[in-house]
Amino acid sequence: MSTALFSEDQRDALQELTNIGMGQAGASVAAVLGEFVMLSVPRILVLKPNLIPPALGRIVGPEKVTAVRQGFHGDLRGEAVVVYGVAHCRELADLMGYDEALDEATERELLLDVSNVLVGACLGGLAEQINAEMGFSAPSLMATEVEVASLLDVQRMDSPCALFVEVNFSLEKRSFACHLIMLLPEDQILVLRDAIDRFLASL
Amino acid sequence: MTELSHSELGGFIADRVEIGVFAVDADFKLTLWNRFMATHSRHSAVDVLGQNLFDVFPELPRAWLERKVRQVQALRNYAFTSWTQRPYLFRFDHNRPITGGVDAMRQNCTFLPVKNAAGEVIQVCVTVQDVTDTAIAHEELAASMAEVEREKAEQRKLIGELAQAQNQVLQSEKLASIGQLAAGVAHEINNPIGFVNSNLGTLASYVDELMVVLDAYTGAHDQLPEDLKAAIDAKIKGVDLDYLREDLVSLVTESRDGLDRVKDIVQDLKDFSRMGESEAAWADLHHCLDTTLNVVANEIKYKAEVVKHYGELPEVECVASQLNQVFMNLMVNGAQAIAERGTITITTGTEGEQVFVAVRDTGAGIPPDVLKRIFDPFYTTKPVGTGTGLGLSVSYSIIERHGGRIVVDSKPGEGTEFKIWLPIRYPAAASAAA
Ligand SMILES: Nc1ncnc2c1ncn2[C@@H]1O[C@H](COP(=O)(O)OP(=O)(O)OP(=O)(O)O)[C@@H](O)[C@H]1O
Ligand SMILES: [Mg+2]
Repeated sequence: MSTALFSEDQRDALQELTNIGMGQAGASVAAVLGEFVMLSVPRILVLKPNLIPPALGRIVGPEKVTAVRQGFHGDLRGEAVVVYGVAHCRELADLMGYDEALDEATERELLLDVSNVLVGACLGGLAEQINAEMGFSAPSLMATEVEVASLLDVQRMDSPCALFVEVNFSLEKRSFACHLIMLLPEDQILVLRDAIDRFLASL
Repeated sequence: MTELSHSELGGFIADRVEIGVFAVDADFKLTLWNRFMATHSRHSAVDVLGQNLFDVFPELPRAWLERKVRQVQALRNYAFTSWTQRPYLFRFDHNRPITGGVDAMRQNCTFLPVKNAAGEVIQVCVTVQDVTDTAIAHEELAASMAEVEREKAEQRKLIGELAQAQNQVLQSEKLASIGQLAAGVAHEINNPIGFVNSNLGTLASYVDELMVVLDAYTGAHDQLPEDLKAAIDAKIKGVDLDYLREDLVSLVTESRDGLDRVKDIVQDLKDFSRMGESEAAWADLHHCLDTTLNVVANEIKYKAEVVKHYGELPEVECVASQLNQVFMNLMVNGAQAIAERGTITITTGTEGEQVFVAVRDTGAGIPPDVLKRIFDPFYTTKPVGTGTGLGLSVSYSIIERHGGRIVVDSKPGEGTEFKIWLPIRYPAAASAAA
């Protein structure tokens, strides 16, 4: 685990910016879901690819997971992954106000939808803080009911390291929880660092 | 020729691009409706602009669409739909009126927030992309994948059947060679037994005659001269003649008994193997059980006492040599499951139209994970060289061929019972008779 790409100050600033971004995200997600959303303080790590699966494992635990990925592009380019414990996945329907039992397609659509909301809110919040323009590609289902370790194929990652930003969501009145991980490849980390520098300079 | 301004160009492209583009305001009034939408929906822009989207298209999934648009407004962010979950938003004809393949155009939609200078979302624009070709290709792929999977499953089944068939061949070879061996041994033993038996008969009658002569001598004993009498008395004492006379007779009797037993065993071996026999015939199962017990007596006697609870059994039409094979396997398995000493109980009887034979042991029992597999060919928990793991799988197929069934009931630590049900008539014969 190295955060050497960031100075202490830059790291603090990034932490702060994500914090503010997430705060706004929480508010807008709450507006959509009609429930008070609790977000963890984002954890920021710079990881070598092979350390990403264990980091995911630590967050999610031994439970099987379903995950959605969504790419973002523009001033910052990377991927966001939203990971749901299998049990929580089923609570989504209830959460989104569906009473009837859902067929598989509807359930998946819901999963993609909620992921899109979370990713859009969180990354949008962060982008706003650093004045970045960002667009999103359509979310897609990465895997359903698999071991966390098999989620990412680290062999296929060509970036030597990645920025790993972890945010955990939970709802005040329910046991529902999920985890959002934002992954930035190394060149984008540098872009982000410059953006942070600009932000620091503007203070 | 006049140049197009940038926004004119943008407007032109939005209108003519081969993607559906439309926009609604906060009240779902249509503010944009491009050509793609017009041609496919057969509602021109003039007709629909300013109208409420749901008034023009009452078939749209209203609640869902409203939620989606509100979401874009609230989050000021993109939202998406994919044909894989929601095949289409608008039911449009697809571009394959001839080649066909789907009922309607498959669509991927993107909802994008249209913001004013202050960054507020004032409208929501939706793009509708025709992905019918991708969808069809995808579905064809999925169908051929399913086909491949189905074929694979079929192959697995065939391989299983092949293994089963091979196992039966192996087993019938094993049976045949046991049969041959038994018949050969029986034949070889029969000859020496024959002459020992007749010699022993002669020996017995010689002994009788000798005794008569000896009695006559004993009667004359007192009349002998003193010195001769003393000498003979000493000889008589030396050999303990009284005991010798008694023992001689019982020795001969015991030998003949022993020989009778050897003859029985040889007969059992012959019965057991019934060389080459595979035709069903009427047989007494108790006789089969006894014969088999005799054959396996050696394997069992140090481990278990055999208790028989024989009920009333009619004769059963069966291939006796094959049933013997089953009984033998159950008895040997039972004995092998007993660590020190135990009991093997054989119970027979009738239940409805069927007869049953149960072999129960007081052995180790079978743990659940083993129990699932005991009838599998080559499954054995015994050390290499001890068990082939064929016994039960072969027994199973023999019972099956007899139209019966075999069930197992086992409590680890207490023992195991195998119970066989058989119809009175052999299935093939029954159908031939019908
Ligand atoms: N009466 C029993 N008690 C406990 N376990 C048994 C009993 N009968 C069968 N088993 C278990 O089932 C397995 C399979 O039995 P099976 O008769 O098919 O093969 P085997 O006895 O191992 O070998 P083979 O009969 O070919 O010499 C045995 O290895 C044993 O683990
Ligand atoms: Mg056996």
